[in-house]
Amino acid sequence: MPKEVVVEVEKLVKQYKDVLAVDEISFDVHQGEIFSLVGPNGAGKTTTVEILECLRNPTDGSAKVLGLDVVEEGAKIKKRIGVMPQDFNTFERLTVKENVELVAQIYGVRGKAKEALETLGLWQIKDRKFHTLSGGMKRRVGFCMALVSDPELLFLDEPTTGLDPQARKDSWDVMRSLKDMGKTVFLTSHYMEEVERLSDRAAVIVNGKIEAMDSIRSLILTYGGSIKVLVKGNKKKEARDTLERLTDSVSFDEEDNLIGKFETRAEASKALLSLYQLGEEYITETIEPGMDDVFFNLVGSKVDERGELI
Amino acid sequence: MKSVVPVFFALTKTWLRSKTGVFFSFLFPVMLLLIFGTIFGGSQSAKLTLHIQNLDLDSEKPTELSHTLIDILESIGSFDIKRLDPTINVSTYIKENPTFTSYRVLIIPQGFEQRTLDKSMAVRIDVTVDTLSHLEETYARFISKEELSGMKEGRDFLNTWKGRVATSEQAEILLLTDEGDTSAPVVRGIVDSVVKAFNNKLIGGEDIINISSQSIREKKMEAADYYLPGYIAAFIMTNGIMGLATTLSEHRRNGTIKRLASTPLTKTSWIIANVLQQALLAFALTAVMIAVGWVIFDVRILPGFFAILLIFLGAVAFCSVGIVLGNVIKDIEATSGVGNAIGFPMMFLSGAFWPIEMMPGYLQTIAKFLPLYYFHDGLRSIMVYQSPTLPTVSFLVLGIFSAVFILLAIKVTKWKEL
Repeated sequence: MPKEVVVEVEKLVKQYKDVLAVDEISFDVHQGEIFSLVGPNGAGKTTTVEILECLRNPTDGSAKVLGLDVVEEGAKIKKRIGVMPQDFNTFERLTVKENVELVAQIYGVRGKAKEALETLGLWQIKDRKFHTLSGGMKRRVGFCMALVSDPELLFLDEPTTGLDPQARKDSWDVMRSLKDMGKTVFLTSHYMEEVERLSDRAAVIVNGKIEAMDSIRSLILTYGGSIKVLVKGNKKKEARDTLERLTDSVSFDEEDNLIGKFETRAEASKALLSLYQLGEEYITETIEPGMDDVFFNLVGSKVDERGELI
Repeated sequence: MKSVVPVFFALTKTWLRSKTGVFFSFLFPVMLLLIFGTIFGGSQSAKLTLHIQNLDLDSEKPTELSHTLIDILESIGSFDIKRLDPTINVSTYIKENPTFTSYRVLIIPQGFEQRTLDKSMAVRIDVTVDTLSHLEETYARFISKEELSGMKEGRDFLNTWKGRVATSEQAEILLLTDEGDTSAPVVRGIVDSVVKAFNNKLIGGEDIINISSQSIREKKMEAADYYLPGYIAAFIMTNGIMGLATTLSEHRRNGTIKRLASTPLTKTSWIIANVLQQALLAFALTAVMIAVGWVIFDVRILPGFFAILLIFLGAVAFCSVGIVLGNVIKDIEATSGVGNAIGFPMMFLSGAFWPIEMMPGYLQTIAKFLPLYYFHDGLRSIMVYQSPTLPTVSFLVLGIFSAVFILLAIKVTKWKEL
């Protein structure tokens, strides 16, 4: 049974003065999934998500959110979605609770603030002023503000950008719990690991165009490339010879580890077994391909920590 | 529209917790009121200093007449009279005391009393002789010969007497003033009128025309009365044009506005909440200023309905300008720069801090093109002068101004494509 479509984008175009930010993209988001738009800075992620949040008008094409048109029915859409904008910020001198309550009142859901604050573990710090919080805590308040109206669909625009690893992992937990609550989540990110861990489906976007879109598993199977078998430490010639007998692709990485690449899991297992038979002094590791490989294979470059193409 | 209330409270709390906001909106105006009110508010400065040297002495004591003249000058209350010793040579004294700035010295010369009495006697004799001659000519038919010769005898006697006193010179007093002293004409005028009244009394005349002077206001206006409406108006203006513009610009930059725009809150509700917050701020500022005026300067003015209405219009007008600036100009620094560039000249040129009559003519013309002029002028007219007619022009100017700018504010505020 096909899942209900909650976001429907058809040949969407957004032209700024001299930049074509979004170039005829089409995709659907299904109810209850975490859908990610993944790509480097300037790829058109925020523009797309802001069109869906009714913060921008498309130049061409159409977009429907919860069956409503983003241009004509923005007011209705805004009542039913939760949003965490990019570089999320709110009234700095208001406390955590006051900020959440403000949004609750705007949505007309008085009295829901406490529950939302407790859900996100913010009740302890509810009386702290927003500007005194750490980056991670600020984002957590952002999640809370997006969640307080109990929306069916949440748009999270780069929710973990600029956070330290621990705060990022905490954010992931929050996003997983959103899915558990049955919400549909539309996520944008330039962190491949984040997208891989959290999303059900993803679209890779570069220069305003979608390069590929599928479930994470299918994307990796299709574009992820080879499975790597890595040999660390004492690199005896036999190890290299063993790998070279099984694959054409044998090389050394930056840390001088020996790497053999295999097309299938069966071939990789065979190589591991052969290495094991050589003796126990070899420390081996299998590296499955991930979203970063998908991205690299699709685009031909990587995305760094700050979201820039390298 | 129901979102206006929570947003209004959020803005108010945000404002109350901003130290610079509270300083520039409340404490700064209060400080200025205290400073200017104290400098210009003292009752001392209302009196003009007048030095008097009385040389008309009778055995070391001032003659009765000269003494009376000085008493009268003192009693009218316009002068702070300082007596100079008769032994002082005034011209040398001025030279030797360069700090004797804006000197005004009235010298009553020796023989003043004698000459004055002689002169007034001569005048009285003339009047009496004239009266007798007139009677003789007009009523000769009804007067007996004996009576006529008696009257002639009297006239002759009086004329002989006059011959003795009339040789006396004109009585003169000398008023020395500094060339650069702008108050000199005022001093001269007052002394002149006192002397005239004195003359009149001496020849026994009664005042035929009397100026009955009465203040148009019930109470004497102190400096603080004048400044209070000016300060209230000026700082409502700066709160809008400088304060709100910068705050909005900051909210736009840091994403708070985007956060709000992505909720069901509408642009109009957001603007109304801001306007109401500024109106509340304006009322609070008015209350604080009046309280300070009341406690420190004994100013007893309370805004009535129309004053409150005008304050509301002013707050709407200037915060709308602030909203326009905060949205049209890209970055915060430029916004605050433009806000200052508009706000400060307007504050000083509009005459909010001093009467525009003190400014050169062309600046007075400029003042009348500034909305702030109509704001503080109208406010003063209602609150201080308690004028029976409403300052219609002020209401009209501010009404139109706020209508235009609130529409412009709604037009330029971006709620999309942020």
